[in-house]
Amino acid sequence: MRYCLPKLIVVLGLLVFGFGAQAQQTVKGRVTSGDSAVTNVTVQVKGTNQATQTDQNGDFSVAAGSGAALIFSRVGFATQEMPVGNRKYLDIHLVVSSKEMNEVIVVGYGTQKKADVTGSVASVPKSRLSELPVTNVLQAVEGSVAGVSVTNTSAVPGATPTVLIRGQNSITANSGPLIVVDGIPLSKSGGSINDINPGDIASMEILKDASAVAIYGTNGSNGVILITTKRGVTGKPVIRYSGYEGIEDLAHILKPRSAASYVQKYADFLQQTGQTQTNPVPNASELPNYKAGKTTDWIKETTRQGIIQDHNLSISGGTKDVRYFLSGEYLKEKGSIKGYQYHRASFRANLDFNLTDFLTIGTSVFVNNNDYGGGRANLLFATAMSPYGQEFNPDGTYNIYPMYPELLYTNPLIGLYQNNVNHNFNLNGTGYAEVKFSGVLKGLKYRLNAGYNYIPSAVYTYTGRNDNSPLGVATTFNSETNSYTLDNLLTYNRDFGKHHIDFTGLYSAEQRRYFVDAFSATGFINDLLAFNNIGAGATVSAASTGSGLPNGSYSDRYALNSQMARINYSYDDRYLLTLTARRDGSSVFGANTTKFGVFPVAAVGWNISNEEFMKSVSWVDNLKLRGSYGKTGNEAINVYGTITTDNSVRYPFNGISQIGVLAGNLGNSNLHWESTIGTNVGVDFGILKSRITGTIDVYSTHTDGLILKRQIPSVSGYTSVLDNLGKTKNQGVELTLTTKNVNGKDFRWESMFNFSANRNRIVDLYGDRKSDTGNVWFIGKPIGVVYDYKKQGIWQVGEDPSKQDPGSKPGDLKFADVNGDGKVTATDKVILGQTAPKWIGGMTNTFHYRDFHLSIFIQTVQGVTKNDPDLNYVDESGRRNTPADVGYWTTANKSQSRPALSYFNTRGYGYGSNASYTRLKDITLSYTVPPSLLDKAHLGSMTVYVSGRNLYTWTKWIGWDPENTYYGRGTSDWTNNYPTIRSVTVGLNITLR
Amino acid sequence: MKKNIIIGLAVSVLMMAVACKKSYLAETPYSSYSPSTLTDSLGFEAACYGLYNQMSNFLTYADHQGWPDVWQVGTDIAFATQPEGIEVPYYNYTTLISTDGAALYTWQWAYKEINNANTIIANIENPSLKGISAGNKASTDAEARFFRAYSYNMLAECFGGVPLVSKPLTGPKTDFVRASLDSVNGLCVADLTFAAANLPDIEAVKSNASGKLYGRANKYMAMQLLAEVYLRMGKGDLAEQQTQAIIGSGAFSLITARYGTKTSLPGDAFSDMFVYHNERRKEGDKEAIWVLEEENPATVPGGNTGNAQQRRNWGAGYYNITGMAICDSLGGRGISRMRLSGWVLYGLYDAGDMRNSPYNIRRRYTYNDPTQTAKFGQPVPYNNADTVYKICPHTTKWYQYDPNDVFGFAMIKDFILMRLGETYLLQAEAQVQQGKTDAAATSINALRTRAHAPQVTGSQMTLDFVLDERARELVGEENRRLTLMRTGTLVDRATKYNSNTVVYPMAGLSKTNLLLPIPQQEINLNKDAVLAQNPGY
Repeated sequence: MRYCLPKLIVVLGLLVFGFGAQAQQTVKGRVTSGDSAVTNVTVQVKGTNQATQTDQNGDFSVAAGSGAALIFSRVGFATQEMPVGNRKYLDIHLVVSSKEMNEVIVVGYGTQKKADVTGSVASVPKSRLSELPVTNVLQAVEGSVAGVSVTNTSAVPGATPTVLIRGQNSITANSGPLIVVDGIPLSKSGGSINDINPGDIASMEILKDASAVAIYGTNGSNGVILITTKRGVTGKPVIRYSGYEGIEDLAHILKPRSAASYVQKYADFLQQTGQTQTNPVPNASELPNYKAGKTTDWIKETTRQGIIQDHNLSISGGTKDVRYFLSGEYLKEKGSIKGYQYHRASFRANLDFNLTDFLTIGTSVFVNNNDYGGGRANLLFATAMSPYGQEFNPDGTYNIYPMYPELLYTNPLIGLYQNNVNHNFNLNGTGYAEVKFSGVLKGLKYRLNAGYNYIPSAVYTYTGRNDNSPLGVATTFNSETNSYTLDNLLTYNRDFGKHHIDFTGLYSAEQRRYFVDAFSATGFINDLLAFNNIGAGATVSAASTGSGLPNGSYSDRYALNSQMARINYSYDDRYLLTLTARRDGSSVFGANTTKFGVFPVAAVGWNISNEEFMKSVSWVDNLKLRGSYGKTGNEAINVYGTITTDNSVRYPFNGISQIGVLAGNLGNSNLHWESTIGTNVGVDFGILKSRITGTIDVYSTHTDGLILKRQIPSVSGYTSVLDNLGKTKNQGVELTLTTKNVNGKDFRWESMFNFSANRNRIVDLYGDRKSDTGNVWFIGKPIGVVYDYKKQGIWQVGEDPSKQDPGSKPGDLKFADVNGDGKVTATDKVILGQTAPKWIGGMTNTFHYRDFHLSIFIQTVQGVTKNDPDLNYVDESGRRNTPADVGYWTTANKSQSRPALSYFNTRGYGYGSNASYTRLKDITLSYTVPPSLLDKAHLGSMTVYVSGRNLYTWTKWIGWDPENTYYGRGTSDWTNNYPTIRSVTVGLNITLR
Repeated sequence: MKKNIIIGLAVSVLMMAVACKKSYLAETPYSSYSPSTLTDSLGFEAACYGLYNQMSNFLTYADHQGWPDVWQVGTDIAFATQPEGIEVPYYNYTTLISTDGAALYTWQWAYKEINNANTIIANIENPSLKGISAGNKASTDAEARFFRAYSYNMLAECFGGVPLVSKPLTGPKTDFVRASLDSVNGLCVADLTFAAANLPDIEAVKSNASGKLYGRANKYMAMQLLAEVYLRMGKGDLAEQQTQAIIGSGAFSLITARYGTKTSLPGDAFSDMFVYHNERRKEGDKEAIWVLEEENPATVPGGNTGNAQQRRNWGAGYYNITGMAICDSLGGRGISRMRLSGWVLYGLYDAGDMRNSPYNIRRRYTYNDPTQTAKFGQPVPYNNADTVYKICPHTTKWYQYDPNDVFGFAMIKDFILMRLGETYLLQAEAQVQQGKTDAAATSINALRTRAHAPQVTGSQMTLDFVLDERARELVGEENRRLTLMRTGTLVDRATKYNSNTVVYPMAGLSKTNLLLPIPQQEINLNKDAVLAQNPGY
């Protein structure tokens, strides 16, 4: 491969220099609509990158051959095409349009007129791509696109949300979509959505059904997000600044108990556990403050005023043959919890050059630096601290154990002493060359895309004596990802009478190399050097390079080799057909397989509104029926996941660590991709002069060959082997509606509404149609469920548990004896709910009054059940403070919802609770300065706005926030619990001309 | 020109069609060895070290913190006071069913060790293996066979006859059947006989930069284990041959005088053996036959595995008493998930028995927190509630304290897995089995002499007496459950000595529990043959 691609490029390169240019002439004209000139209309010579824009009088001038046609386009107007013929002057009348169907959208390896699209492709509303204080674009997408479930599991500055498109197909494999930025797969090449400045994004499309994602073959099953960044257009340089600044606070605080309530809780705890009280508070070091009546508000101590600011500066423009878009961004978020921060600096240069009239080259280059560093306070410990705990030492430093001799809960603030560096860099260079053929080969184009990514990242920490590490521990972690993508694209696009043919052929190769090293050292004589001299630690050792990876260093390589062909055919703009097939070979597939999978899809469309018989139905502007059927894939296997390997281990003899090996992974060289067969039927419509437009899609997908760990008898020395076994299905419906409710001269009101429901089911797991209770996977149920005891209330004094749950005491949780065997065992567990929402929706109402615009966005997530760690204090509720909202049973209050403090939850009940919510997500009020004022100031445009985010949440959830994943002490990422924040920002967009 | 175009296109299409080098998609792990690559002497050495690592995982498993208690509570010597969960079926035997977690972990642990040993044995015995001397081959083979036999002996004691796998498997297999106990024992005897003949003498073990590797397998380890296997098989005579050979070798001697790092502090010869950094032969413990070493990972990378829970589970939570602070001399931080039985504490020892001295079984505490000046230095008074797990009497054998890790989730301490004291006990058991009671009394008296305990006579010698003596000598140290299961005495002795606990009482113990249930998961997964369950489960 390494050899054949360059050769191919050379051959094609030689080929193109044989072409001569056609005779050019200057064509002038004026564009009008109604009585007025239309400015800023893009005038493009069809089939070329040659373009210009109309000036303030609507005039334009462009060089074009007599055989050429000009395309006139501007947002809000129907695009018009006009053959030049022998004319030197053209008078063009644009019609204000039902723009939707004439919009050109990105569909992957090319663009398509929306009217011609047969698959399910959703464009993220442009209004979600600006004027929102988000640190990555996925946060803006949340709730705004049907079928796309975005969850911010954490609000840690710089955290990225999880995305699920049309439900979860895979059980163990990654279910997130493929994200492609300007043709380069972002996540597969090691990048993060944080690497893309939201201000650089021109458009964002989400490919949902088989027909749309088929072009991405074995990486398509989970849906594809296509991001296209802004590029320059011919014209005077446009200098644009956009920025905002605002404040952030925790949207909801789960308040700990007051001091009095804490003292009462301790007394109740002792009483309920049958202990005698000798002190009013549990620990000796709480006594002085208790006696002095001095309390500490630990939440206040741990939080602060968060601040977010973002500044974008871009310059774009171009001449006939050179177009440019340059931008720089600086974003800084100072978190609401002490220590947390995120800042990003990025730069982008998108350039296009017409070298000849048949050869265009260009680049998309960006560099980006994400910085997540800094020691962090611990919110969970803040909630656990006694109000009488001693925050400071006499010298003013933080006291490590505010509740000494309690050692389990340390001061929430000592983490601020940690010296922490955490940043990554993404250097991405993409170049393209595009050759247009003419003559008999008119309509044929060859394009080469070549992208290279270099992503180094570094995480260094030092935990010293003041952070409860008496010896000092330093760790360093450096990784480097190098990847390339090479796409050879051949496209052919031509009309033959009423027949339109659009062919795309792809030959591509992708490679990713990863290397990481990690070291730690302990035993420093003092804390001065931090991680800057690992060798100054007494004991230097190899540190973890990642979960399941060896210590010290690790390296791997991934490669993908693909061919794809797509034919779009339409007849008379009425009948549409798309045939797509991609053949993907991936290095991760087992050595016994061919390593190649083929993914074919067919789709049809019918533009009913273009039929003769519809012409008389004047209230229907657009009506289209679409259908698709086909197979897509999910690579699903980790690098080296099919290979039998040994682990290296250590064991000490005489104080010297010796290297040993132990059998590690039992490989399966027959492993291959997971495949999904999907069906989609959709309707696009526009009625009443496009006052109401919308889309309805219904889909069904069946996934099989799911990668699961098949348990095997451990007599073999291994406990499991990966195999292609499971089956799942997803069915759903999606509705998107845009309405113009009021369309007056001064006042306009528009609504956008989306709804989607998905039904996810496990069809089979190990080929025997049996559920796997251990992993909580049940046939016929959704993949993620809460499976637990059924809580009926609390055992009260005088009730007899002996027939239902022998041994229970008053104040214990009362669980249903579902199988009626007179006791509560694991067999009494039932499914309490699903962890993925049953339906989600979003609604935006935008009001315009003259130059004021008010946009209100509400988002809802319904039918979610999650375990609530804020209700579960196991055996610790007597040792720590607990939230005021989380009560406990006493003989007096006879609570039926909360257990006694003596209840230690030995059954591991998870307190599954309804995590559905509806959120007033964004309100933006903006003012667009009118042209009359702009002209005086010599400005192109100016908008000022104020925007509020996460302003109010309706939910039954008891906790910090229903959307976040919050971890109990000692589980997973519990030291970084960080709930949803509320922000209020003011922003300014300004364009100089 | 058209021609050019056509040719050009033809060439490019052709090039697209030709598949690129197959190696482009080939995978070679850069960072992992594969089982087939380790066939030189360093490779075998590493594979053997792997066996020790896996061995330690039986002792340091902490995914369930109650793991060490599985082997102690519900026997005659201990009961649960703060159970974690995994040990619950081992005193409330009504809940010991085929899905039991401890039985599954034991099973999986043993077969993982066996698989790794099988790989070494198959590779070292491969006739085409070159470049390794015959002596090296034999000792490597013997080391692997020792651990294979250790694992199969564990399986036999726990489960009876189990599937016998003596070759490494290369893929999934789902048609295992249980072999007879005799054939499992046969493999143990064959492996250990080979190991005893081919493992080095204790002073002939290999060395590293710090001296001789006394922690690695020597022939006496194989002989002691072989004695235990013979005892289980009812072949006392053969067992005695092994113990006589170990004792007669003169390689080891009972510790009768104080030694090591704590001689300046109060203590006795017996307690010195269990002091951190006194436990190794190199550190002066000439009684030790097999010590599995652990090092603090803060000073030795890879110095331990898991998070050993023995200190926490045996040690007391005295710091819960106001006026008591965590300290070195009280053994660091314990939480006493289990407590010695009344029989051990109040009925087992004769007066003057060193093994019951305050240095070996702590029963009294003194306020030690100088910040609580009023009480400092005074004895902590007993009240009943506090003696369950706060100031309970406990064995001091697992004391360990790291000033840099006072919380101490992991115990970092060597494991004395075989010592000469136990050799005498195995010998006494073998002699009782043969009816040689006077000889048995002589064996027992060797230990009693060291412990300053009254001498015994042949007329007192029964299996029960030997088991009592084992408790006196090895309490907290030996795997009591396995000893009682091996000798078939679990039901009688646990019922007799340990059925009067109140908080977490013993229930449902029966002959069924002389074997553990074959893990249900294994039975279910073995879909192409029947793995028979043990009777009663």
